[in-house]
Amino acid sequence: MKVLATYNIKGGVGKTSTAVNLAYLAAREGRRTLLWDLDPQAAATFLFRVRPRVKGGGRALVNRRRPIEAALKATDFENLALLPADFSYRNMDLELDDTKKRTRRLGQLLDSVSGEYDIVFLDCPPSVSLVSENVVAASDILLVPLIPATLSMRAFEQLTRFVSEVEGRRPEVVAFFSMADRRKRMHRDVIEAMRSNGSCVADTIVPALSVIEQMAQHRAPVPAFAPTSRAARCYEQLWAEVRPT
Amino acid sequence: MTSQVQALRAADGATLDLASVAATLADQFTVVTRPSQLIRRVRLDTFDRRLHAAELTLEHQVAGSQERLVLDGPACSSTVTVPATEPRWPVLAAGLPDGPIRTALAPVIGIRALLVVSDEKRRVRRLELHNEDDKTVARVQLDEPATATAAPPQLTVLALRGYEDLAGRALRLLTRAGLRQVDHREAHAADVQPTAGIVATSPAIELLAAQLGEFLAAMRDNLPGLLDDVDTEFLHDFRVAVRRTRSTLKLGRLALPEVMHRRWEPAFKWLGDLTTPVRDLDIYELDLPVMTTWLVAAEATDLDELAQHLRRRRSSARRAMVQGLRSARFRRLMAGWHDTLTRLAEGSQDLTGEQLSAGVLAQRSIRRAYRRVARDGAAISPESPAEHLHELRKRCKELRYALEVFAPVIENGPRKRAVADLKSLQDVLGRFQDCEVQRLALRDFAEEMMADGTPASAVLAMGELIGHLDVEQDRARERFDGAFAGFTRPSGRQRMQRLGGGR
Repeated sequence: MKVLATYNIKGGVGKTSTAVNLAYLAAREGRRTLLWDLDPQAAATFLFRVRPRVKGGGRALVNRRRPIEAALKATDFENLALLPADFSYRNMDLELDDTKKRTRRLGQLLDSVSGEYDIVFLDCPPSVSLVSENVVAASDILLVPLIPATLSMRAFEQLTRFVSEVEGRRPEVVAFFSMADRRKRMHRDVIEAMRSNGSCVADTIVPALSVIEQMAQHRAPVPAFAPTSRAARCYEQLWAEVRPT
Repeated sequence: MTSQVQALRAADGATLDLASVAATLADQFTVVTRPSQLIRRVRLDTFDRRLHAAELTLEHQVAGSQERLVLDGPACSSTVTVPATEPRWPVLAAGLPDGPIRTALAPVIGIRALLVVSDEKRRVRRLELHNEDDKTVARVQLDEPATATAAPPQLTVLALRGYEDLAGRALRLLTRAGLRQVDHREAHAADVQPTAGIVATSPAIELLAAQLGEFLAAMRDNLPGLLDDVDTEFLHDFRVAVRRTRSTLKLGRLALPEVMHRRWEPAFKWLGDLTTPVRDLDIYELDLPVMTTWLVAAEATDLDELAQHLRRRRSSARRAMVQGLRSARFRRLMAGWHDTLTRLAEGSQDLTGEQLSAGVLAQRSIRRAYRRVARDGAAISPESPAEHLHELRKRCKELRYALEVFAPVIENGPRKRAVADLKSLQDVLGRFQDCEVQRLALRDFAEEMMADGTPASAVLAMGELIGHLDVEQDRARERFDGAFAGFTRPSGRQRMQRLGGGR
């Protein structure tokens, strides 16, 4: 089982859209896929039309009073399950802090479903916290959406520093440009600069497209309701680049 | 991710009507009707139905230009679907698309190939049951035959993970509306055993004819897969049926006329011998992956030359075997044997030997076979040559076949425990003999390969294998005394006495 997290310290950069679309594509090609919506805002949960409620809340999961298998929900798509968000996840840092091996607990919880899924996506809240440390420790690939702007670059530097300070096994960090607008000179300049300074950035650029915003209207992944759209092609291309073997 | 909750049929042969099903469900769900699809369903399983035994179903589904493999069953807790592009059947596990289905099936099917069990065109219409959030919470599927010969229509309620209670609710609504739940046992009525009704007082001929008929059926069933080289187990199972036939002829000598012994024992010996070289080579090929793990100094790739040599040898041995199995001699053997068994079953006068009951023959045969094992085993000493252990192994096989052939007329509990005792001894003797044969064969292969100019690295790697087999064989020999003592311990002897053997 491979764990792929969409993560950025900054919010509103396309983490959830990426997690939802790539999880759909992984499932479409036959991989048994799980998406864990770790963000108490529950956007991914909403997009799959699942109610943002976990019996016993985040505490029951973290304390293992309730197995995560019991909280899983099938989505409307074959091979794709969701572990929904719950508003109580806002306190997950506190719950994790009370456990042994507090930076490894989420990974330990995922071990219990490792036989059932080939790939797990973690849709993370935007923060640097104990949840983030857990996500970094549990992941094989950290997929970082970046809006090509100066502040995003700064946030990416902070993130790579944060990952490098994590003890033990570290995930591969792969950034990609998200919500890019090539008409904007600054976006073009930042993309050029990042590519020339040797950062690990995917070739695929996901532009700012209204069809991606329409996901919230359709409550479905882009390739499901607009399979021939440019956005769907971008996500397919991105998946082909980052897909774990 | 879905799992089947229950299949339903219309009661009393009435037609299943999806519109009325939708109307029934509309009380509690928003029902969305999906367009119907014409699906070709190719059901797959191994020849010995390993998926069925594991309660798994595998289908290759073709709908328009889309092809997919669908695995369903409790072991995977949900349906697993992978896209598939023109898979060709039969196929071994390694030939399945890389992914979850191959991972799930490989340990179940082992070395057997997946074959087409049925191939039907079906019209599938689906209802999606939505909740207030317009989320699909259950599915209902009407699967109708597209041709008159296919299986009857069936409605299935499919549960989605996390929403199982709602699938249960849908099921209750439908059963209340008069649909009948399909009992899986309906589709899998128990096979009637040919030995059913045969008891200890029945004539021995009756039991022998039934068992020999079963073995002939097994030979015939396995012949096409063996000729097509679908997987190695067709040959294995064919040979088992031949061996059982030979043993049964031997065990039944007292009750069978002399002609059976004179004509058919040599005929089946010929058939066994015809198939031995390919089976021996199959064993080497199957064991090769394990053998590579024995290497210490050599690399696994050093055995590539051996693998190629085995393939060449097998291909040539197979040509000879297939020629024999397509010969007039083989056809005459099968037709003549079928005719003989028919007359035997009918009680033909010219095929009647001593009038014995099945129970008496069982007792005499088991007693004789057990005594020979006990006598030959007790004579084994540390100085005994390998051939003596090999002979003892053959005696054990005879006893094993006696316990199996006469199973319908002896006590089942003691029989099963006796087989378990015997199996431990057979395992030790089998390992000893396999090591002996493989060691000698590897020497022969090495000589042949050296004559063909094989690099020294390959021969050195084979030398390591011979060394390993030597150690393994010594270990098996050391375990023999304990295994034999276990087999002849008082409790085992008492069991044998109850079955007719021992003193």
